[in-house]
Amino acid sequence: MSVIAPKFRLGYFLKSLTDNIFWIIVLLTLVGIPAIMIVLFFIDLPVLDGTLLTPFLAFTMMFHPELAVPVVKSLLYSDFFRIAAFPGFGFAALLAAGTIFAERKLLAKLQLRVGPFYCGKFEGILQLMADGLKLISKEIIIPAKADKPIFWTAPILFVATAAAFVSLIPVAPGWVVADLDVGLLAVFAIIGFFPIITILSAWSANSKFPFIGGIRALHQMVSFEIPLILSLLGVVILTGTLNLSEIVESQSNYWFIVFLPIGAIVFFISVLAELERIPFDLPEAESEIVAGWLTEFSGMIYGLVQLGSYLKLYAFAALFVVLFLGGWQGPMIVPPFPAEIITHGIEAGPITVQVPGLPITTQEMLNGTLWFTLKTVAVIFFILIPRGVFPRIRIDMLLSIGWNKLIALAFINIFIALGLLYAGVLGPGGLL
Amino acid sequence: MSDSDTSIQETETKPVVENQQELPKFEKDQSDKITAKFGSKTEIAFVKPDRIRVNVKKEDILDVASFIRDELNYDHAESVTGVDFPADKEIEVVYHLGSYTDPQLSRQVLSLATRAPREDNPNPSNDSTKLPSLRDIFYSVEFHERECFEMLGVFFEGHPDNRRLLLPEDWADLPPLRKDFAIKGR
Amino acid sequence: MTARLPPGLQLEKVDDRIMTLNVGPQHPGSGHMRLIIQVDGDRIVSCDPDPGYVHRGEEKMAEYRNYITNIPHLERPVIHDSCNILYPYCLGVEELLGLEVSERAKYVRVIASELNRFTYTLYWLAIYGIFLGHSTMFMWPAGDRELAIDLLEKLTGARVTHSYFVPGGVRNDLPANFEDVCLRQINYLEKRLKAYADIFYDNPILIARTEKTGVLSREDAIRLGTTGTVLRASGVDYDVRTKEPYDVYDELDVHTNVLKNGDSYDRSKTPWLDMLESCNIIRQALEKMPKSGSVRVKLKPNPKGGNDEVYKRVESGRGSLGAYIVSRSKPEPYRVKLSVGSFRNLICMPYLLKGEKLGNMPAVYWSLNYWPVEADR
Repeated sequence: MSVIAPKFRLGYFLKSLTDNIFWIIVLLTLVGIPAIMIVLFFIDLPVLDGTLLTPFLAFTMMFHPELAVPVVKSLLYSDFFRIAAFPGFGFAALLAAGTIFAERKLLAKLQLRVGPFYCGKFEGILQLMADGLKLISKEIIIPAKADKPIFWTAPILFVATAAAFVSLIPVAPGWVVADLDVGLLAVFAIIGFFPIITILSAWSANSKFPFIGGIRALHQMVSFEIPLILSLLGVVILTGTLNLSEIVESQSNYWFIVFLPIGAIVFFISVLAELERIPFDLPEAESEIVAGWLTEFSGMIYGLVQLGSYLKLYAFAALFVVLFLGGWQGPMIVPPFPAEIITHGIEAGPITVQVPGLPITTQEMLNGTLWFTLKTVAVIFFILIPRGVFPRIRIDMLLSIGWNKLIALAFINIFIALGLLYAGVLGPGGLL
Repeated sequence: MSDSDTSIQETETKPVVENQQELPKFEKDQSDKITAKFGSKTEIAFVKPDRIRVNVKKEDILDVASFIRDELNYDHAESVTGVDFPADKEIEVVYHLGSYTDPQLSRQVLSLATRAPREDNPNPSNDSTKLPSLRDIFYSVEFHERECFEMLGVFFEGHPDNRRLLLPEDWADLPPLRKDFAIKGR
Repeated sequence: MTARLPPGLQLEKVDDRIMTLNVGPQHPGSGHMRLIIQVDGDRIVSCDPDPGYVHRGEEKMAEYRNYITNIPHLERPVIHDSCNILYPYCLGVEELLGLEVSERAKYVRVIASELNRFTYTLYWLAIYGIFLGHSTMFMWPAGDRELAIDLLEKLTGARVTHSYFVPGGVRNDLPANFEDVCLRQINYLEKRLKAYADIFYDNPILIARTEKTGVLSREDAIRLGTTGTVLRASGVDYDVRTKEPYDVYDELDVHTNVLKNGDSYDRSKTPWLDMLESCNIIRQALEKMPKSGSVRVKLKPNPKGGNDEVYKRVESGRGSLGAYIVSRSKPEPYRVKLSVGSFRNLICMPYLLKGEKLGNMPAVYWSLNYWPVEADR
């Protein structure tokens, strides 16, 4: 008997079909519809044509297609979308995924290799997805003597902190998750969490190599936070504000990298150290301490830490763009939205369709996002390149760079900024 | 390209015939110095081009080694080899000594051989198979003597670190390079 | 209560301040060996190398097989340098059996052993690169090594375990057109080697990191009996190829590279300079080699040596490599001892790592040109 289903009966088959249909209907009514309702009630629903968009009205867009665009637009401007998708987590995760792919291909080309090649039709573009699936399907092994609650929460905290950092980055005018007046201070505060999380996870693993790696990470991050903060003071002095959006707006004429190149260099080097990128990847130096504080992580816990570190990479690159490269500022290259679509509608042969609610986004937003993304990608490129060129340095060299050289340079940068301010070149009421 | 069959020439293999040429001069001088100093305590086993072999008793090896280091300028040991001779009930330990500092000696390798008594039921470090360690004279023998100790059960008295090196810590069989330790299936 | 321990094991004392790290055998920064390192903060207090994880008893095995069948297994300790590790054995057996090697075979041996120095040293260099976190330096030599491997495959038929040297010559003659291909690839390899200097040896971070770390003075290098690149990096001009030329090295112009600082940087640079020198040697050998002639002496089955012993040395990628063969008129050797450079340089490890920082451990360890498998034999 070599048939595929030896015990096939039509009756059983029909019964299984009806069973499935029954369970789908039951689950949908008991779980699905209430869930949708709850989500719709929690989202701030907009006012459309003078009436509040109730969940009932939102569902009627299936029968009133002209409501679709306004509903989408209202979702687009909701806080949930901002946090989850566009300037927040989703956008950052997409860029981080792109970064991983670009890093692997770039490094491969530098090292006369091919890099990821087979997964996906084009140049192994789905390799990351395959790796993610592999990580998810792997067993999570926890050391027997580990402090389990902390060991479990540390990677989640790591991703959460990185996402909180991402939420402070203004991508386009008005497009920022949390537009704080103390934005830069919030950035410093969030950066301060990373060493704590690292040492907690390293210590909770109760293993020697993660412990050494965690201690190294602690030393490295703490000692490089000081030049990092000091190098940004120049920007704050010149703009007189801590709000990141206002800092970007103040760079409409000149980017701060023109006036504060030393600060930019110090910030860039400190970022490399904060991110544990080569040549500062001592906490993960595999030939000395296996994988540093990541040694005992396995499966998706490791994947979460990697996701968090690449989110962090994006956030730091974006911070560099915001502070020194003028954020979203750039010549307007996105064409304006064709006005006749709004006034006359879209002509498709004999039919003319009037679409209410257009345009969904503004020209400034698209243009700002484009410039911001381009600049961020360029900065990420410069963060990735040293990996193919430099060996790892030693912890004492690293600390002496941080404490002796970078802090001194950061102070020089502050004096330059003060000089520019008091000479009346820049700052409130300055020449430029 | 020539065919490989035709390129192989047919020659008889024979052991080296002991040719009665006169011994190489430099090496002869070296061995004469040792003989002049120690007389019948040492036995010059052979003098070949670049190679001298000196057999000494284990009581005299420290003196001879010091003389070789101080007067003949050999400064390091290249290897320490233990050879088991069950028929003689002895284990021979051969030190191959060379010199980096003396350019005249750069071609030379002096074999200093001594023999320790061998027991049929060895109990390494607790039986009579003992030799004085040369570590104080040639520092470089440290790891070689450790290897010799575990492989042949020759305990080197005066060696600071007589532990196992290559074998597992819980090795409880005979020292494996002795002739009565047989490989399975051979 | 005291637990019963197997003989030879002892419980270690636990100190509040000192942390004991087992670097290896499952550690990306060790080979097939273990370094028991005790650290006080970031400083190494003591280091106890524990080799033996890949001990295969080659010397014992050699006592059971005849002179010819010993060849394939004696090369296993360093499969990347298999011609060189067979070289002293073959020289010794030739002296024991009284074989005369033809002039062409001697040149072929020189070419093969210098090519093997390439394959070994490039492999070593790749690992040195990744030990220092320089991933490009891992990929480049590992890729360029394929050229040397291809040449050896053409020559011997196998990529790594060649079994090419036999007592009385080499196993087979050069393939057609080998000289041209070899010359072309050697010229290319030389160009690539010079590119390594740009990205690795002249890299300021590498220089800052490895200079003045693990310094082995000239006196200590001699006292500890080190050999090969470690010795020459410490300023001792000693290379078996020039000091005691075997085969046709006395007819070739071999330059010995001697650096004088004896730190990790010099120790890592000497093999690279040796590879550049190997290019010259191969070119000279290709030029001077007799264009035809036999490459192998035919042996009778089960040849017997006399009642004799020999000690022969060659210069391998890791230093002087000696073979001590005792013969007792039997088809099998009575005792074969390989005195390998890795084992001789092992003694430096506790000496150099003591007092170093933990971050210097891979740099010092791998700059010793130590091949764990060869040391264990």
